[in-house]
Amino acid sequence: MFSVIIYGRNDSHGYNLHKRAAISFNALAEVMSDPDDEILFVDYNTPDDHPTFPEAIWDTLTDKAKKVMRILRVRPEQHAHLKSKTHLVALESQSRNIALRRSNPANRWILYTNTDMLLVSRIQGQSVSDILREVPDGFYQVPRFEIPEMLWEAAFDRRDPAGNLVKLRDWSVRFHLNQVVHNFMPMRYDALGDFQAALREDMIAIHGFDETMILGWHCDSNLAARLALYRGRVDTLIDKVFGYHCDHTRVAAANNKGRKTKMNDHDQYIWNVSTPYLPAQAESWGWPDVEIEEVRLDRETPYERYVAGLGKAIKPATVPFTSSSCEWHLYDDLTYDLPHTLPFACDQVLTYPRSTAIMVIGARPDFLSSFAAAWEGMGFTGPILVPQECVGLPTDLPAITTGPFAELLPKAELFMVEFGLATQKIDDPVRVGRQAAPLDKKRLKVVERLFRQAASAEAETRPAGRRLPRRFIGVNVIYNKYWIPFTDHVSANINPFCSQVLAGLPRIDESLKGKVLRFRGRHAL
Amino acid sequence: MAGVRSLLGQRQPELTAGAGPQDTDVAQQAQGHYRRGRTVMRAGELAQAIAEFDRATELVPDYAEAIAARAEALDMLGQSEAAKPEYERARQLWAADRPGAPDRRYVFRRPGRFTFEIESYELALNRIKTGSFPHMACGNALLVLGRPGEALKQYERALKLKINDPDLTALTGEALSMMGQYLRAIEAFDFALAVNSKDADTLSARAIACMALGKVDEADADWRRQIALLGQEQPAARACVAFRLTDYALAVTEFGRAIEKEPADAYWRLYRLTAQRRLGISGSAADAAPTNAWPSPLFALHAGAISADEVLAQADTDGRRTEALFQLGVLALPDDPGLAAERWRDVVASGAPALIEHAAARNELAKLGA
Repeated sequence: MFSVIIYGRNDSHGYNLHKRAAISFNALAEVMSDPDDEILFVDYNTPDDHPTFPEAIWDTLTDKAKKVMRILRVRPEQHAHLKSKTHLVALESQSRNIALRRSNPANRWILYTNTDMLLVSRIQGQSVSDILREVPDGFYQVPRFEIPEMLWEAAFDRRDPAGNLVKLRDWSVRFHLNQVVHNFMPMRYDALGDFQAALREDMIAIHGFDETMILGWHCDSNLAARLALYRGRVDTLIDKVFGYHCDHTRVAAANNKGRKTKMNDHDQYIWNVSTPYLPAQAESWGWPDVEIEEVRLDRETPYERYVAGLGKAIKPATVPFTSSSCEWHLYDDLTYDLPHTLPFACDQVLTYPRSTAIMVIGARPDFLSSFAAAWEGMGFTGPILVPQECVGLPTDLPAITTGPFAELLPKAELFMVEFGLATQKIDDPVRVGRQAAPLDKKRLKVVERLFRQAASAEAETRPAGRRLPRRFIGVNVIYNKYWIPFTDHVSANINPFCSQVLAGLPRIDESLKGKVLRFRGRHAL
Repeated sequence: MAGVRSLLGQRQPELTAGAGPQDTDVAQQAQGHYRRGRTVMRAGELAQAIAEFDRATELVPDYAEAIAARAEALDMLGQSEAAKPEYERARQLWAADRPGAPDRRYVFRRPGRFTFEIESYELALNRIKTGSFPHMACGNALLVLGRPGEALKQYERALKLKINDPDLTALTGEALSMMGQYLRAIEAFDFALAVNSKDADTLSARAIACMALGKVDEADADWRRQIALLGQEQPAARACVAFRLTDYALAVTEFGRAIEKEPADAYWRLYRLTAQRRLGISGSAADAAPTNAWPSPLFALHAGAISADEVLAQADTDGRRTEALFQLGVLALPDDPGLAAERWRDVVASGAPALIEHAAARNELAKLGA
């Protein structure tokens, strides 16, 4: 019957976002009763190495919310062409249109709202699906009522949406929450964007939200103006449903700078709208030709993929614990525990697109074969690119593509560099003072050279059309002799030794030292 | 009832002026009460507001805006149970208004009185001095209410704020066309189409104006361009354009798809039946909805159940008479092309150029060489 369209990203937009959003997702799912109903969450521009926002809070969502939610993930690279035009990191019009394009065509209605709204039907037990089934075609809004921050934060149980809605019915009376704030037509109400129900076919006819609105604010008012023209009227469902907003002004959100807030032009986008249509984006709204990944919380979850991947690569431990050491006298010892390290390496890649092409530069053959098994098991379909200069690594595995480093470099979307000992076997002791053998040194010299070249020339060697820098994952680069070289070239955080893994984007150090390093890296001096 | 409703919609001299209950015209009186009710409601005088809305609905019982406003006032007084059926009734009244032809500009596709909207936009105009939108929205409402002269003034005000805007210019064209000033209308449409040649609404508008001037080829060329622009998801619009063009094969297909989408729409069934008959395909007049309401008499005419005189007697508006005359032409054609041509000439002479039947009759006459 209806597709709820909301958007956001895995960040901290406003106060206690995680709780607000969980309350809202669960409450929205709670008022759905039609099998076609869906919540479309557009996860816009979350960094590639992060999970989407709903994935990050999945444990706080009800089974019903997980079942009805479809997450459409817009990658930073897909946003990159707009990055220089806006101060915002998540774009409303683009997000909502991407969802509209991909919404269930069986649904008659699209409901635009936000991740902090609860809908309470005035007839207890009546679902919003039932309400929307019964009302005639139109463009409907409801006024937004505010919930004081203390109330939703202190009293709501995020996994009890039914209980929360009951509480809200009580509070609305007890605390006089229900104040309708009228506004000029075509807006009709203040904060209208938290409940705008439009026919799906109307939204398609008017070409969705205006994608030139990239400075934030007034997207809802623009939509109201255009739908008011198209439909002639802005109707209300105030007799059917109340909408409550979890107030979150203790901390200003990123797009709220008080009177200095940058926003879309009020006159241009509201008071001088002269047509419902947007002919300039008639063919392009919602990015019809862009492949948008869809993530579900009720199937093929990241955890399931992770378990499946590692299950193909490592066996469960047979001892209560193993040991390593970060003592300084072991600085030159490059042994590491592969079954322990691999889960941390896989953790770094799991959130990337499944089609990602990853270049692995390394020394240990068993690392590559284990990682390749995990890569396939996690459902990745992109190749593992292994430079033929890395002698001794297996190249006959199905996921692996090999070739000259220079040829593979512009094909890679992600890098993993492993600094291990080629001679280390799976059962060899770890960090006991082992010195690198001549063969190890020979192989590591190649790994280091290729790494320096890849990191120094990253910007010049990106795949065609790619705008954003590629990430480097270093394996076995903490508290050993490769810590410094790796972090000379990659902006990595300080991580615990136990994880063995560091990751980051190529470092842009404009100091003389940085320039020299990049020069030497490019030319492998 | 329809008479009072059309009165409300078509006979008010100036919606922008506050009509008072002392006015003699029933519709104006009702509107005056409604507007007074809204004013006192905003001032918090809910009981007084309800009394005003009651007076409005006593005069015009199906005054949906007044019914909805009364419901809201009752709700605010805590009488929510009493308000519920009123809200619902208003909604059903709005829904009962038949939308305009789906191939025309959006403005004509949604009927209504728009008293609430006009009043609200007037309020906005007290504060918004640099925006064209409230003028245009008022103009749109007036245009739908059949008051093109007043609409034109609103559009001209809007154009002073948004100079040379193609969409506003096209709307002035619609108003001019409705006023019978087709040449000026075509100029306006030409201007808009020079900016956006893919503006399907304006192609339709220019086609209608051209057809009104008897420029059949030019009109048809615009409609053919329009149909190429209309998406497959708009079968009713495509079907109506095809019917205007008397492309009956396409019309049968598209009306079939439109009926799948809107099975209750009697007109889609009627037009499909008409197109089938023109193609020599036997359609079913039993497609008619089981009601005596218009356009059922036209189905009865196709079924041979009533005569030409009887159907014309039941056609109680100009539009319905035009529809009946067109159908009489279709039925006469196989046996008496001369009579068919006569019927269609009547359609052209008396029917509004915006009507689907007007264009179809012109094209039929062109095919007959008449």
